[in-house]
Amino acid sequence: MSINNLSPTRRDFLSWSTAGIGAVALTDLLARDGLVADEAGAAPQIIQHHPAAARRVIHIVLNGGLSQIDSFDHKPALEKWHGKPLDSEERPDVFFGKVGNLRQSDWQFAPRGESGLLVSNLFPHLAELADELTLIRSMTAETSNHTPATFQEHTGFRLNGFPVMGAWLSYGLGSESDDLPGFVVIPDTRGVPAGGSINWTNGFLPVRHQGTTLRSTGTAIDDLFPARPVSATTEQASRQLLETLNRRHLESREGNDELTARMRSYELAAKMQLAVPEVSALESETRHTQQMYGLGGKETNDFGRSCLLTRRLLERGVRFVQLFSGGAFGSPRINWDGHEDMVKNHTREATRIDQPVAALLRDLRQRGMLDDTLVLFTSEFGRTPFTQSDAGVLGKGRDHNQYGFTVWMAGGGLKHGTAYGATDEFGLRSVEDVATWHDFHATVLHLLGIDHERLTYYHNGIQRRITDVSGEVIDGVLS
Amino acid sequence: MIRGNTTNRSFTRLISAFAPYWLTLLFVVVPQIAHGDDAAATVDFDRQIAPLLAARCLDCHNATEQESGLDLSQSKTALAGGDSGEVLVPGSLDESLLWDYVSGDLMPPKKPLSDKEKALLKAWIESGAKWGRDPIDPFRFTTSARAGYDWWCLQPIAKPELPDASENPVDAFVRTKLKQRGLSPAPPADRRTLIRRLSFDLLGLPPTPEEVDAFIADKSPTAYEDLVERLLASPHYGERWARHWLDVARYGESQGFERDKLRDNFWAYRDWVVQAFNNDMPYDEFARLQLAGDILKPGDSSAIAATGFLVAGAYDEVGQKQQSAAMRAVVRQDELEDMVSVVGQSFLGLTVNCARCHDHKFDPISQAEYYRMTSALAGVRHGEREFQPNTLFDDYDQRLKSIQAALAELQDKRERLIAPIRQQLLARRHDEIKSITPPEPISEWLFDGDLRDSRGTLHGTAAGEAVVVDGRLVLDGEAAYVSTAPLDADLTVKTLEAWVSLPDLKQQGGGVLSLQTLDGNVFDAIVFGERQAGYWMAGSDHFRRTADFGGTKETAADDDFVHVAIVYREDGTIVGYRNGQPYGKSYQKPGPVAFPAGDSQVLFGLRHGSPGGNRLLNGSIDRARLYDRALSHAEIAASAGVKQLVIDDSEILAAADSHLRQQLDRIDFETDNLRSQLQRYRADKVYANVPDKADAVHVLRRGNPAQPADLVSAGGIAATGIATADFGLEADAPDADRRRELAEWITDPKNPLFARVIVNRVWHYHFGTGLVETPNDFGFNGGRPSHPELIDWLASDLIEQGWSLKHLHRTIVTSATYRQSSQFNSEAAAIDGDNRLLWRKAPMRLEAEDVRDAVLSVAGQLNPQIGGPGFYDFTTHVQNAQFYDMRDPVGASFNRRSLYRTWVRSGRSGFLDVFDCPDPSTKTPARAVTTTPLQALSMMNNSFVLRMSDHLAERLTKEFGDDPAAQIRGAARLAFGRRAADEEISAGTAFIKQHGLPAYCRVLFNSNEFLYVD
Repeated sequence: MSINNLSPTRRDFLSWSTAGIGAVALTDLLARDGLVADEAGAAPQIIQHHPAAARRVIHIVLNGGLSQIDSFDHKPALEKWHGKPLDSEERPDVFFGKVGNLRQSDWQFAPRGESGLLVSNLFPHLAELADELTLIRSMTAETSNHTPATFQEHTGFRLNGFPVMGAWLSYGLGSESDDLPGFVVIPDTRGVPAGGSINWTNGFLPVRHQGTTLRSTGTAIDDLFPARPVSATTEQASRQLLETLNRRHLESREGNDELTARMRSYELAAKMQLAVPEVSALESETRHTQQMYGLGGKETNDFGRSCLLTRRLLERGVRFVQLFSGGAFGSPRINWDGHEDMVKNHTREATRIDQPVAALLRDLRQRGMLDDTLVLFTSEFGRTPFTQSDAGVLGKGRDHNQYGFTVWMAGGGLKHGTAYGATDEFGLRSVEDVATWHDFHATVLHLLGIDHERLTYYHNGIQRRITDVSGEVIDGVLS
Repeated sequence: MIRGNTTNRSFTRLISAFAPYWLTLLFVVVPQIAHGDDAAATVDFDRQIAPLLAARCLDCHNATEQESGLDLSQSKTALAGGDSGEVLVPGSLDESLLWDYVSGDLMPPKKPLSDKEKALLKAWIESGAKWGRDPIDPFRFTTSARAGYDWWCLQPIAKPELPDASENPVDAFVRTKLKQRGLSPAPPADRRTLIRRLSFDLLGLPPTPEEVDAFIADKSPTAYEDLVERLLASPHYGERWARHWLDVARYGESQGFERDKLRDNFWAYRDWVVQAFNNDMPYDEFARLQLAGDILKPGDSSAIAATGFLVAGAYDEVGQKQQSAAMRAVVRQDELEDMVSVVGQSFLGLTVNCARCHDHKFDPISQAEYYRMTSALAGVRHGEREFQPNTLFDDYDQRLKSIQAALAELQDKRERLIAPIRQQLLARRHDEIKSITPPEPISEWLFDGDLRDSRGTLHGTAAGEAVVVDGRLVLDGEAAYVSTAPLDADLTVKTLEAWVSLPDLKQQGGGVLSLQTLDGNVFDAIVFGERQAGYWMAGSDHFRRTADFGGTKETAADDDFVHVAIVYREDGTIVGYRNGQPYGKSYQKPGPVAFPAGDSQVLFGLRHGSPGGNRLLNGSIDRARLYDRALSHAEIAASAGVKQLVIDDSEILAAADSHLRQQLDRIDFETDNLRSQLQRYRADKVYANVPDKADAVHVLRRGNPAQPADLVSAGGIAATGIATADFGLEADAPDADRRRELAEWITDPKNPLFARVIVNRVWHYHFGTGLVETPNDFGFNGGRPSHPELIDWLASDLIEQGWSLKHLHRTIVTSATYRQSSQFNSEAAAIDGDNRLLWRKAPMRLEAEDVRDAVLSVAGQLNPQIGGPGFYDFTTHVQNAQFYDMRDPVGASFNRRSLYRTWVRSGRSGFLDVFDCPDPSTKTPARAVTTTPLQALSMMNNSFVLRMSDHLAERLTKEFGDDPAAQIRGAARLAFGRRAADEEISAGTAFIKQHGLPAYCRVLFNSNEFLYVD
């Protein structure tokens, strides 16, 4: 790739494109590729099509499929029909093909807070914060197969190879920090989800927009420090020698911005070496804060650390944190995929995250950060109101449900303590104000000041968007 | 017979109509927008109204969709109107409902027409709504919004006249353009620069100092041409250019999606590509074999490997097997889209895939044509086929031998390293065994006529046909088993031991001796063959405490009693034994699990729980013992009556220090890797197209498989304007016919795209930017050619020269344009900042793989082995899905070129990633070049770079002695291909004296001069 074309696809694109990018100036693009910013050290410019309600995002990803009818979508009809078959002419097309009897929620719902939003006691801590939540109870997905559904949750597409939301926002908004990556991923301590790094890929965007994995224990980032001890004086002298060699090399090569940008990247790297250990130092938080997040708690320690780290990252200008609850599929279950026994599965998973997520919301609120932060709490799909068992049998587990499920948002620009949309009487299908992932993504972008139809990137013939060719902002959730 | 509606657009018309003056139509033909009163007179239906209707109305109001009963694609139906009656009354705006809707912004929904568009429509209706070509052919002309049949790249290729026949053709065209803008080329680059440039460009490797010297000293007038020939003949040329092609082909060696299972047998496709480049396979043949090698050369193993191109993308294994037929159909359509898009983009620069849900918005490709191409590929399926890997290599046997030799050497090395520890342990063991008495179990069953526990209270009760015969418990594998009374004390740390004979070694899953909770939910058991037929394993609930011991396959005769024992240690370590000797390797799992008194029991012949499935054992148990502690190796040996001793690897590792453990770990990792390569060399399978019956294909409304419309037969894109685009097939034609015709159409020398696209692709890699900047997209959304005549000249020449890509390389790299210096020129930059006109040779950063390869090469560690199964830079485990933990592998067999790493989709190399190595799931025609702090961190800190810095330091010391000045001179020659300057030597010497030579080498690898090519 030639140096004339520092970011060839985009810069070149400007010279021949006719559509879609009018609002974006060339300098702006270069800034977001780190070039102008690297040169001047100034904060990169961001895309803003309209005033943004939020500046940063936390995406809490519940892998495996959270049951909407056991958490945020109360269905009294299930109590009446408990143990009876679904009275429907059309047999629902579900992933494992087994349609057992209807099963009422194993958790109790109650009106919460001033809003009276119905939330079950699966999430007792979160329930106390119902007035902060904006539920979307009418979500639908295009597939009930975990991984394509997860890809769609993150990228808008069912396939491998498309950029995830964090990558799009890193591309569109850059980072507010020059010593931390703009898009950070914190996997579940029990392991990465199926698909691994495909869940935080840059797809066809430049690699700098890929999520950087940060571990809440052990080495935070790969290659942050030399793989074997190097003395401070040698390190210092090495950088100086490198600078000398590079300056000499540059003398006969004027007009080559990339060479100077690369020299500057070593200074940024040195800053990262200070910033990353600092942000990871959770011990520096007060005991009260640590306890609030559940650090030291048997079930809550892992996710508590991840949530606390998330807050610290946001405070230091990180744009997007993707936080995973749940690892790989299969047996033994380490995610929300409650095929066998919902009570056992969802109790275990909810206990791990309930207190930490509630603490994160409270903490952001008390620090005045929740007003311009967007918290997303999603699952690739929901679960069926009937059990995954033979016809006429009441089982204990529930199958995947792409037809209707709940996600929530919290933070800036939202109508708080409300629920948007609705499923049918059993919670099987979304029937009112039906929403898709494209709508969801369009809404997230909207809240960040971006018109989803105008955040585009040319790839193999198409100005790609996270919303493909559809998606409408869900006005009903906006304040 | 079904006859598909293959619309054969008028090819001859296109060719004759546009060939003479297509050069003037290079850029967009902008329709004349009508102004004021004379609008009526100037409205041209075909050029102005038809494109407008096509772009804004026909998506919903066409012959197949007919929203509200309205079809605006032909005059008859347009005039007839829709459900609301007449919509178009020529000459009368007031009576035309169409105008009401449009002027009132009701139609089109969401995005009303612009004022200009409205004015045009108004003028047309008022002037009598005269129709032109009927039905509307929306693709007829290029407009300001889309490309038509007259689009530049769709015109036939005519070889342009050379502006100056005495020059290299490249220079002739480039200079003409430069002159037009008042620019002149940069001076020629010097020889040092040229050989480094050419070496990285053609081979992806730096030249050696000797090669640099020889080239500089070469007085021959053809010195440069000779160098080009030498490099093109190097087998490393194929490696470098194969990597480019693999980017385009979205080459991934795992399935992707949820499971991401390894594609162990896909490397042969990669090698086929390498060899095709090295052998200068004609490019049309190269394409044909990748599309239809299995049909065109059915007996040729390598031609089958070539079809890997079609299936190189991700494969949704779970999606293909899901219960819902409707969702399976969507998955299959997604898979076909992946194939149509890779075929269209790679060979034709056409984004055919954009027409899956509707006609292409920008290029003249109809939705029906998308499905015609889908039909052409409808028989293609992912899978594995018979394959003879030896046909790929002349030196196949030698390759296997050298791996075996490497393995033997590693084993020797390992033995040498552990010998002292082994001797120590053996001596100690001999002492122990002398003094040891067989251990005392808490329970023992001798089966001497009954099921009693001769030591404790765990007496057995028979179920099914379990019987005691001749002092043995005989189990039929059908329903027979024995369960005992509950434990009378808790049991956590423990040893299970039994003597068992098996009449059927193929049985899978039977339990010999189990300890379980009474509900059967938690258990630890000696189990035979459950996960792998023929092998012993420690069975457990959900395999929580199960791993492969990696022991030997059971071969005992059916009347032979084998002693089997499993020890569960306090720290969770689980050790298996067979006949008193360790069985494979021990492993550690969370545990051990406590079995509570009163709530647990022992089973014989049943794995756990209730009898059924594969849980029951077919065999006899001579006796069995249960211990409440973890027996030592010596105790097990004593119990089994064994005198010869084997030292278990876990004991050796436990006794080794951390340095030795690390050495052993590296050796073991490399050993596993080489064994796996050996296995893959011998596998008689290749991941390729496994054709199935090709379905009849329908156009799918909005791309939805649940809404099939017209049946189509296989065909190409009519806009290519050649007769072969019409395959002349029935809709139910066999797969072989469909793909043969597809290959013929694509590689047709008259196809205007096929040669242009490859010429541009090759140019792109030589110069960093294509003559068209978007190598996968020659359509309306793509770039416009900077030198259209040059593309055409090179394309014609390529065809004339029998599609030889080496000939094309030669033409390009021997040009003065390629050989000019990269010197910056601010005046030229002010005129042409992007250097599209090529007033200099743009400097280039090494690509990710080249960075790693150059480091290896300069450090003297590059293993030049070409081809063969790839190495793994990860450990992997399967937990429903396959997971990859990346590691930096150490050893000569890993120091091969980066091309030979295994390109797993979810197992990306962090080191290569930071240098913009693409996601293997994306089709990447042009890599991005970014500069980030993570790159700096990787180059400074990654263990690979630090290790190679040590190796380079060793090399410099060995070749140039201990004098820092000599070392610095040598390093500059190796790393930069030049002499060191005096101030470099003085600064470097001071540094080396204080910080050592490896630290100096690390800095060199990080320098801009190392990473950039002028």
